[in-house]
Amino acid sequence: MADDSEMEASLKPILDQTSLKWVFVGGKGGVGKTTTSCSLAVQMAKVRKSVLLISTDPAHNLSDAFGMKFGKDARPVEGVPGLAAMEIDPNGSINDLIAAGGDDAQDAMQGLGGVGNMFQDMAFSIPGVDEAMSFAEVLKQVKGMEYELIIFDTAPTGHTLRFLQFPTVMEKALEKLSALSQQFGGMINNLVNARGGLPNGQSFEDVLARMEDLRNTIGDVNKQFKNPDLTTFVPVLIPEFLSLYETERMIQELGGYEIDTHAMVVNQLLFPKKDNPCEQCNSRRKMQKKYLEQIDDLYGEDFHVVKMPLLVEEVRGVPAITSFSEMLVKPFDAPE
Amino acid sequence: MPSVLLFVFLLQLFIHLLNTVGKQSVNDLLWLLFTKLPTPQSKAAADLSTLRNEVVRLNREMKATSAQDDFAKWARLRRQHDKAKDKYDNEARNHQSFRTNFDRAITAARWLGTQGLQFGANAWYSKQPMFWIPQGWVPYHIEWVLSFPRAPLGSISINVWAIACASVIKMIVEGVMALWTLRTGVVKEGPRRGERVQMEGMGGVGVKKEL
Repeated sequence: MADDSEMEASLKPILDQTSLKWVFVGGKGGVGKTTTSCSLAVQMAKVRKSVLLISTDPAHNLSDAFGMKFGKDARPVEGVPGLAAMEIDPNGSINDLIAAGGDDAQDAMQGLGGVGNMFQDMAFSIPGVDEAMSFAEVLKQVKGMEYELIIFDTAPTGHTLRFLQFPTVMEKALEKLSALSQQFGGMINNLVNARGGLPNGQSFEDVLARMEDLRNTIGDVNKQFKNPDLTTFVPVLIPEFLSLYETERMIQELGGYEIDTHAMVVNQLLFPKKDNPCEQCNSRRKMQKKYLEQIDDLYGEDFHVVKMPLLVEEVRGVPAITSFSEMLVKPFDAPE
Repeated sequence: MPSVLLFVFLLQLFIHLLNTVGKQSVNDLLWLLFTKLPTPQSKAAADLSTLRNEVVRLNREMKATSAQDDFAKWARLRRQHDKAKDKYDNEARNHQSFRTNFDRAITAARWLGTQGLQFGANAWYSKQPMFWIPQGWVPYHIEWVLSFPRAPLGSISINVWAIACASVIKMIVEGVMALWTLRTGVVKEGPRRGERVQMEGMGGVGVKKEL
């Protein structure tokens, strides 16, 4: 394997970066994001006190990868001390927030009549707000949990970028809401009270206060995400054109959001033996080599490019992941 | 007051000419002159065109590079292209907004120089007779209209004079245009501009009966 001249070809620098608080792992579907993020989490758990791994992919794979069931609450991963994992659904809803989890969220909105509908329409007319809300809730939850490091296993590329954009979207949306409520707050309050108040005995002010609270959380998180000391994004890709293309696009967009990225994982590399009779493997290896050269050329100077082999068996279960994760730190020696 | 008479006439002529040339053409012409002058905007316009060329060049180069075979080169070109394009879009927007302001200023100045001037003159000379008409030429109510609004009865007011000038200029111009059209046999304006004049039984120069 040709080593990078400038940057180390492992994730060791990321492990050593003790100031890190948020790590995102993302890439196209099927490139091994979950495996990579699980491996990274396992390695991180060795050097940090407490690590939380969160999957925001709707097709939750964490449970699959570790071979145990995870849910909405953080649960420790058996066999890996200091690592907890959770799976969240990014498709929550603003209703949950307004009704604070009550079943009668819809009724609450109906109860508000025209104003409620207007409120709802407005909230939904801002793209991404729905998911942003649930993301914000998670962030709030996570912030209160005091983990030393949080790793996000994000959904495939498109989703990832939207997810990272959320703090911005969210701030804008909430700003609008606050401004509006300051103007019409009294009026809405009167309406609500005339109809006997919101269900669950909440007052409109409470809802607003909660939103304001959320906004502060978001603003805070936003600042943290843009700080390269606290946050980094690790793209995972395979040496194929589309994956490379998406990765390049993603890296450019991340630059636009001012989110740091300085390490990438090239996954599923084939290393057929020299006297291998498998024609398919050899020709694929040739193709991968071509793209690897391009990757080294394009990113070699600014990125830690970590090269991971494609194994013969599936990487599932804690032992498999642990052994796989070693290769993130110690560059894989290709059998010639 | 021959000077006011002349002034109003010339002003109406000027307004007519401006309207004939068209507001947009006037704006475009002045903008062209303005960007030729050594202003910061003329520099920006030059920069903008360099930038546009750069974007086009990068785009062409990018298209000529195979993303599959030469991804690193292609990606670098694309980064450059995106950067240049962003910059271009940004500057073009600034430029456009300046142009809008420029147009607005020109429009205001044009109005002041034409209609505004006419209004001012109308107000200023409203009580002065432009000239007198011999007594008894026209009945009282016509005299009243001719001196409208505030000139002394029996005289021509500046408003009426301006309207008269405008009408006469319009008629003369139309007449000249018609004559010219007939002479050349080609329609000079309107949707059928440039077509041959079609008239039965007129053997004007260049008019050929088409059957």
